[in-house]
Amino acid sequence: MKKKNKLPGQLGTLLKYAFLIAGALTMLFPFLWMILTAFKTLDESIRIPPIWFPKEWMAVNFKTVFDTAPFGQYFINTCIIATISTLLAVVVTVLASFAFSVLEFKGKKFWFWLFLSTMMVPTELLIIQNYVTVSHLGWLDTYQGIIIPTLASGFYIYMLREYFMQVPPILYKAAKIDGCSDWRYLWKVMVPMSKNAIATISILHFITTWNSFLWPLMVTNSPDKRVLTTGLMYFNNDASSFVNLQMAGACVVILPMVVFYLIFRKQIINGVARGGIKG
Amino acid sequence: MSKAPAVKKRSAWKKFYESYKAYLYLAPAILVMLVFVLYPLVKVFRMGFYTKYNYLTEVGKGFGLKAFEHVLGDPSFQLALKNTLIIFGVGLPISLIIALVIAVLINSKVKFKGVFQTVYFLPYVTSIIAIGIVFRWLFHSEYGYINYFLSLFGIPALKWLSDPKLAIWAVTIFYIWSGLAFKIVLFLAGLQKIDEQYYQAARIDGASKLRTFFHVTLPLLSPTLWMVIMVSVIYAFKLYNEIFSLFSGQAGPANSAITVVYYIYDMFYNRNQVHYASAAAIILFIIITVVTMIQNQVSKRFIHYN
Amino acid sequence: MQVQLVDLVKDFGQTVAVDHVNLTIKDGALTGLLGPSGCGKSTTLYMISGLEQPTSGKILFDGEDVTEVPAEERGIGLVFQNYALYPHMTVQQNIMFPLVNAKVKKEEALARCMEMARLVKVDDLLKRKPSQLSGGQQQRVAIARALVKQPKVLLLDEPLSNLDARLRLEMREEIRRIQKETGVTTIFVTHDQEEAMSITDEIVLMKKGVIQQQCFPQRMYLEPANQFVAGFLGNPPMNFVEVQAEQGMIRLNEAQYPVQEDISGTVLAGIRPESFTLGEELTVLVESVEIRGRDQLITFTLNDTPVHALIDSVHLVKAGAPISLAIKGKRIYLFDKESGRRLNKEFKYE
Repeated sequence: MKKKNKLPGQLGTLLKYAFLIAGALTMLFPFLWMILTAFKTLDESIRIPPIWFPKEWMAVNFKTVFDTAPFGQYFINTCIIATISTLLAVVVTVLASFAFSVLEFKGKKFWFWLFLSTMMVPTELLIIQNYVTVSHLGWLDTYQGIIIPTLASGFYIYMLREYFMQVPPILYKAAKIDGCSDWRYLWKVMVPMSKNAIATISILHFITTWNSFLWPLMVTNSPDKRVLTTGLMYFNNDASSFVNLQMAGACVVILPMVVFYLIFRKQIINGVARGGIKG
Repeated sequence: MSKAPAVKKRSAWKKFYESYKAYLYLAPAILVMLVFVLYPLVKVFRMGFYTKYNYLTEVGKGFGLKAFEHVLGDPSFQLALKNTLIIFGVGLPISLIIALVIAVLINSKVKFKGVFQTVYFLPYVTSIIAIGIVFRWLFHSEYGYINYFLSLFGIPALKWLSDPKLAIWAVTIFYIWSGLAFKIVLFLAGLQKIDEQYYQAARIDGASKLRTFFHVTLPLLSPTLWMVIMVSVIYAFKLYNEIFSLFSGQAGPANSAITVVYYIYDMFYNRNQVHYASAAAIILFIIITVVTMIQNQVSKRFIHYN
Repeated sequence: MQVQLVDLVKDFGQTVAVDHVNLTIKDGALTGLLGPSGCGKSTTLYMISGLEQPTSGKILFDGEDVTEVPAEERGIGLVFQNYALYPHMTVQQNIMFPLVNAKVKKEEALARCMEMARLVKVDDLLKRKPSQLSGGQQQRVAIARALVKQPKVLLLDEPLSNLDARLRLEMREEIRRIQKETGVTTIFVTHDQEEAMSITDEIVLMKKGVIQQQCFPQRMYLEPANQFVAGFLGNPPMNFVEVQAEQGMIRLNEAQYPVQEDISGTVLAGIRPESFTLGEELTVLVESVEIRGRDQLITFTLNDTPVHALIDSVHLVKAGAPISLAIKGKRIYLFDKESGRRLNKEFKYE
């Protein structure tokens, strides 16, 4: 019997790390370039061969961006919309998931199946008519127009229901015997026990809403109702050759979410993985 | 005697309440779903069958398949289909293979697993629109890093975003980059669910690393694999944000990077041809449904569920 | 093939799972590694397999040092506790997998696979997938897969713990039969003393990483090396009562029993429940009675310690009534109170 030959093993490990690191750098590169360029002068940003680091860190670029376009307003809009949307969506999802998991009623299977199948419908089909509906309701250019159509996600309802179903059903029966109403049971037992899942859904929804582009674009007209993504687009049309300023603008949109991500990393990754595997 | 009817009434009401109180909880979700999902779905199907349609008044003229004829014969739409096919046929497989390799590597005994996971998943939380702007500059024919990087290997500068023939490839590269995160995370989760014992058994059974990958790892990963493929296929057909941001609202130079979804929006938003937009949307829906059904059939043969 | 473990150590930092184990396992024998959970038996097994690397020490197969040899080259067969059958392959494909990897010719591989399948009696299940098999059937397939490459040693990790009681009885006989027919050196890990007692040629009893005793089952039962071994084997377990040994005598309640002259001081007396019988030596008050069909389990007190005895159920005993007992052959084991070592030298097994 031969003894272990260490050499090919070591070479393989080296290649493995090399590949992974190269890939990681490729992933990071656009971000790093974006951040660095945001601090460069225009001249520095279009130099060939490219300059990596700016001579002086032109933080004034950010000031210019905020002066030229109401990015401050965009930021506030996005924060408000993402927050309110997430709060409302969580409430709607909690209520619906509760009904689908704990309560028994006629038509339960039918409605659940219906919600599930909405997951498969591409939003592109709906967006045209939704625009019409929203304009009929007089909700164009309003927060509610942006928020309300996104509140009922079959995906989140499915996910939270799975979680709710892990709470032993015997608890519900025991609570009933103790004279506990459904409403109390939901908010005093189920929700506290499912804090993790609810947090994950909130985080994912917040990120999705922050990054959403098309729907806010369609629904809003006036500049003061723009969100960061749509605002960035308009800004680019105006500042079309100022790379450094565009990168600064992109930073404003992306970096808050990156920070958010670094804080809630585990939740986000686990949430996507779990939802993806089951869904 | 007089008590009896009152009690009966209350219990009848109570019975009704017990069976249907769930709907109180479902009400908000159902309302939103009906108004903003079901209703538009029905409407869209209707809209596609008219030749003229005024969406403001919701009056349509000329019921028939004319809209479908027009759309299918439209060279723009045909180009859109072709482009979508490129993304689906080239971009998607490359993206899947790279993601699988990376996931397998991260899953094997490497240090800094968490760091790699964090970095590779980063693109998922970024707005496609914003990072697309970054890529727009990276692809710039004169000042872009990508061309500079290629020039180090002696490759001349390519007009990524201005050459109609190259535009779709720029989109494909961007699509691969931004799509890796989701796939890697899901593959990793699927790999981590595979019991260590199967690998140990394969070792004892004398299987080489390659054999172990193809005969043990892949089959056990197949449910996850199929799920990722299905979701990615649907996403590939609906590509929009990537193109929008790369070309500042255009569908590429001379519309060369147009996709089906882009066509739909263009018809609706820019040209007010709602019925064409709907017809195209319905065609897209049919394509996606057919592809999904084919995938379902294929997967039944190949997936192994534990 | 003879397996030798020389001064084997596995240190996990916080605990030492295997603590300087020296062991020789005879060629062709069915040996049981027995012990409570955490005693290091599974770790030892996995080190023999090569899937676990020892912190120090040597492993020898027929005198050759295989400590540095990777698992896939040691020529061992391993049956995992959960069988680890490839769920997407049929029974036949599972069994043939090791041969396919070794690039054995198709006809030969098929022949060997059939031979194994017949040996473990799964030849009519070849086209099924593992999920379509019962627990016992899955285990047979796992054994076939381990044996098909004609390994030098067969290792089994708690092979019977996932089976229900009836199946356990059947499968342990099967393991014994298969081992005898193939003659392969077999080592299996278990925490069930009855299992080890019933089918092994030799038991290696471990506790906290240290071998307590190694010999054939009946001898270990009748001549336990220490208190732990004595208490581990046997159901219901041996009773331990504190006694004072003085001038060759110990006292149980009012009765006196002679012991070795050289034992003195406070020691632990060990008496197996089945050693009690109706007689005239001790009179005790029965505290509780459990009628178990073929015998009765009674509880009483000796030297302020609760004691169990097994007596036949011909004459039923009432709780609360007095009873007169004797100890068969005056068979009382004596153990050192601190170290647990057995002190008396008699009871040699013939």
